[in-house]
Amino acid sequence: MSSAVLTTRAAVPAPVPRHFANAGWYALILPAFLLMTAIYVAPILQVLAISVTEPTTGLDNYERLLTNAGVQRAIVTTLRIGLITTAIALLLGYVLAYVVALASPAAQRWWLLAVLVPLWISVLVRAFAWVTLLRRQGLVNQGLMNAGIIDAPLALVWNELGIVIGMVHYMVPYAVLPMLASMREIDPRLLAAARGLGASRFTVFRRVFFPLSAPGLAASGVLVFIFSLGFYITPAILGGGRTLMAAEWIKMQILDIVRWGMGAMLATVLVIAILTTLAVFSRVVNLKRLFGAGA
Amino acid sequence: MRDDEIQSFHQDCVELAQEKHARGQLSRRQLMQAMAALGGAGLATASAHAQGTPRELVMVNWGGLANQGFGNFYGDPFAAENPGWRVVQDSSGPATGRIRSMVESGRVAWDLCDSSASGAKLLGGLNLATKVDYSIVDRANVIAPVFALEYGAAPYSFSSVLCYDSSKLPTPPTGWADFWNLQRFPGTRLLRRDAVCSLEAAMISMGRPAYPIDVRAAMRRVGELRRNLVFWTNGSESEQLMRTGEAVMGQVWHTRASVLERESNGRIKFIWNQGILQPGIFVIPRGNPGGVMAQRLLGSMLAKPEPQVGLLGLLGNGPTNPRAAALVPAELKRFNPTDPANERQQVAIDGNWWGDNYQQVNADFIDAITG
Repeated sequence: MSSAVLTTRAAVPAPVPRHFANAGWYALILPAFLLMTAIYVAPILQVLAISVTEPTTGLDNYERLLTNAGVQRAIVTTLRIGLITTAIALLLGYVLAYVVALASPAAQRWWLLAVLVPLWISVLVRAFAWVTLLRRQGLVNQGLMNAGIIDAPLALVWNELGIVIGMVHYMVPYAVLPMLASMREIDPRLLAAARGLGASRFTVFRRVFFPLSAPGLAASGVLVFIFSLGFYITPAILGGGRTLMAAEWIKMQILDIVRWGMGAMLATVLVIAILTTLAVFSRVVNLKRLFGAGA
Repeated sequence: MRDDEIQSFHQDCVELAQEKHARGQLSRRQLMQAMAALGGAGLATASAHAQGTPRELVMVNWGGLANQGFGNFYGDPFAAENPGWRVVQDSSGPATGRIRSMVESGRVAWDLCDSSASGAKLLGGLNLATKVDYSIVDRANVIAPVFALEYGAAPYSFSSVLCYDSSKLPTPPTGWADFWNLQRFPGTRLLRRDAVCSLEAAMISMGRPAYPIDVRAAMRRVGELRRNLVFWTNGSESEQLMRTGEAVMGQVWHTRASVLERESNGRIKFIWNQGILQPGIFVIPRGNPGGVMAQRLLGSMLAKPEPQVGLLGLLGNGPTNPRAAALVPAELKRFNPTDPANERQQVAIDGNWWGDNYQQVNADFIDAITG
């Protein structure tokens, strides 16, 4: 199976094939496409257009990207937290995916369940659960203090650390799934062959397993990073009001300060940043993997 | 409209409010309330507006117990005097941006929105709110000019007070200077993530008058505390942070401080001294469906002291009618921001200053405290 999948995959990166034979099929999805355009794409474009029409027509709002320290800080904070979250989530996710991929089929089912269960719990509930655990008189601090490890409570929440913990927890399943899919495609006989040829376990991992799992790693990285850019609830609850990420900054501009032009500007920038990331990575990674086609 | 129909609808309204009450209680145990405040529309009622009859007025609040409180004490007394009209509560949260999108789309569904002094000024400046018609609404029905503005009037008052944990601070703090004194009062403090009231407190802490706010100096002053500050964005969050001992003191709304003082058996206390007294301004979006009747409703809300006292009992919102303070039962006087003894100690907010400066100053404030 794997060789067949690999050959089709190699053919995919070229732009969508435009054979005339397919025209009929495209016609079938045309109504859905038009509906989406009318009720989803058009309103979004309308909102994004506010960024060049308000308060005056022109690129004034985009000029602020260069001059306004507030929006710059929101962007830098978002990128920083996004990158840190991605790095940690990938590391944890990779280990987890590795363990799952090498487990017996029965154990795999339990592992997968354990990975998926958090996905079904509301992000809000999880954020509050972290507050309960991490606050000064929370379980973690109380436990460490009772054990005599620390004298004063650690600042685990109401700061960027709290946000990163909450976000990593949210993102790990998203990191695991694409990586697991790609690890499962690795032919175990290759590992056995490498061992047979005298490679140590570590060498097998470094020279055979890791390179073969790298596409999944990259796919997970893109997915997690893009998700991280749009986080709203988790930073709002765990950040203690001192860390403002892009989504909350936009909300504030739109709802509270009523500077719609600025809010729409950052929203546009975010959309463009995400599309650019996707475009760049689509040349490197097979994006179908992100949307579940890989497994 | 037949009477029994109105009645049954009202019963339904009360039922709805009670459901929310139950949920509100749950929330105090952390979850739901913050959900409501964060999600905004989390607990929103579909405004009962859709039913077709134009003879109703829609009041919009921020959720929690407000449906019940504003329904009983603002809506019902007005409906009783104006047969054929009913007042509906909608708790979807009338953020300034939402009012704007509604007015600009030309499909205004709201008549009277629970806003703020700066919000009224901002909306007025953008031509999104209707001026209060003081030939209908009587200015003499409020105790101070701060409660009757050009683009809104306040049937209730609230205050941002200094609240502290007496188990952590043996010497009680007495004002904002103590709030900034980290030597004598070490520990985490709370401020609302908003320039309004934070900067006033900073000015007062430096021994200067609250207005006009010296923005640069006040921001620097807030910066001094930065490492020891946690910022809250909704009332339940501030309550929770005090209750769980995350902070030793905070600038919180008096309604939350009152609940904390009552429920913590005196562990958490608050002082009125140097509290920032603010009007609970209601605004009328331009082109509201009920037209001039919204002015009448607002006038009625201001004119009736008894319901205002009832609201103080239920939600803690202070009355603004000059005859109300005398009607407040003795045990509630301690919690009434407009009780003469309490009012004397506070500083009234300057809504005009904020209306002119809010957008810029608040953006700068947020920039200064984040990142």
